[in-house]
Amino acid sequence: MSKLTYEKPTINKIDFVMASKYGSPIHTQKIRTEIDGISVNELTEKFGSPIFVFSEKKMEELYNNLYSAFSSRYSDVQFGWSYKTNYLNEICKVFHRLGSCAEVVSEFEYQKARALGIEGKDIIFNGPYKPYADLKIAVQEGAKIHVDNLFELDDLEKIATELDIVISLAIRINMDIGVYPQWSRFGFNYENGDAYEAIERMYASKKMKLVGIHSHIGTFMLDANAYRNATTKIMQLKEQVERDFKSEIAYIDLGGGFASKSNLKGIYQSTDVVIPTPDDYAEAITNVIYDLNKSEKLPKLYLETGRALIDEAGYLLTTVHGYKRFPDGKKGYILDAGVNLLYTSTWYNFNIETDRHYEGENEPSLLNGPLCMNIDIIEENIALPPLNRGTVLSISPVGAYNYTQAMQFIRYKPAAVLIDRDGKARYIKEVDDLSTVNYKEI
Amino acid sequence: MQVISQLVLDENNIAFHPMMGNSYQLNNISKEIILLLRDNKSKYEVVELLKERYDVSYNELFIDVSDLYSKLRVYGLMV
Repeated sequence: MSKLTYEKPTINKIDFVMASKYGSPIHTQKIRTEIDGISVNELTEKFGSPIFVFSEKKMEELYNNLYSAFSSRYSDVQFGWSYKTNYLNEICKVFHRLGSCAEVVSEFEYQKARALGIEGKDIIFNGPYKPYADLKIAVQEGAKIHVDNLFELDDLEKIATELDIVISLAIRINMDIGVYPQWSRFGFNYENGDAYEAIERMYASKKMKLVGIHSHIGTFMLDANAYRNATTKIMQLKEQVERDFKSEIAYIDLGGGFASKSNLKGIYQSTDVVIPTPDDYAEAITNVIYDLNKSEKLPKLYLETGRALIDEAGYLLTTVHGYKRFPDGKKGYILDAGVNLLYTSTWYNFNIETDRHYEGENEPSLLNGPLCMNIDIIEENIALPPLNRGTVLSISPVGAYNYTQAMQFIRYKPAAVLIDRDGKARYIKEVDDLSTVNYKEI
Repeated sequence: MQVISQLVLDENNIAFHPMMGNSYQLNNISKEIILLLRDNKSKYEVVELLKERYDVSYNELFIDVSDLYSKLRVYGLMV
């Protein structure tokens, strides 16, 4: 006699408060069976679990959407790939192939870009800490240096003297753009005159000249008007500098900060409602440039978008190792990926999807990682059907900042896979092992 | 009388506890387990009986039945 199909036993208290016009959370299941046509189960079987998976197709789509929003309004626009967002070599290569130059914030990122064949002139060197030796190399190689503070100006003056050259620089400025708390840590303040004084200092040395003005107003900016305000102040400073120092500002750089379709904690509306579109951002910036440009030539426009170009292209696949019932009745799943791999779990509610439909009603569950640490919680309250040992969960969007900030802690840092434009998956980074962990230990 | 025996079960897999005033949604297999519990079957007997009828490994079934027992305790339906 054939046996009956098994379904895990469930019992759930009926809470009539949960009934609403929006439907019941008891039966809703979020399912992701594949990424770019490849089954998530096939991906974990072939490449292991946990594993980061990146879609080249999605990266291209995000890049093209944003780029065309700007280039259709403004002809001289250049994207710079923000290395810190995701500096896996193959990811950087995708964005360089699409036309991005490199935007780096450390000597290590600078070296990475150079190793990928990016010429100095195509590297924007940002950040508050640029060691002298590395700054000198960047100057010698013609990188675009964006000055952050007066000490860096002193260093640059010294380098200019040593090399007997006049260095062309850009200045990073911060300002009140109507979004609080204001980012005032980086660069020179516009409103209190620090930025102008720093520019005076440059010209007084006769060893430096200003060719660009840069700002990076924040991250995950939900108001495109903030860019309108920033562009206004940059264009005002540009006019002032061009008038007072008879010098052409060849480019302006609005930095990054465009939001991706991530669910920021504390925001309860759909991302489709709260996230500005590429057109919103592009219109806010380019309209102001056209309105306020007083010089004969329009400045080249640089953007250092990271998150909005990669976040939605990245997934973390993780496997259920087991589960237990907590004294409060919640079901706690033990996964093979934890907060060591999901740095952004502090700020974002991820989209968590199962690999297929599971029979049974949803119940309040908690997702724990594999770390022997009480804080290793990926999701504290999620309604899930009864899952099996071996169920694969897709966590997204995790393309931005998660891989670069993933810690080698307790478990080995996982592998990463790229699904290319032809729909073929391949390793772009293998899983770490003991030799990786012990490397350079003495 | 055991609390579990006070549950009123209907054909739609809804259980109601008159004294607590709570209703519960079950599935077929949890309803079967509750009926076996009412017959004073031990956990091992429950697992053996279900194993004969369902396409599932003993180990998986044992974990799932234990989990259901934990949840029944959380709801105050088992001691």
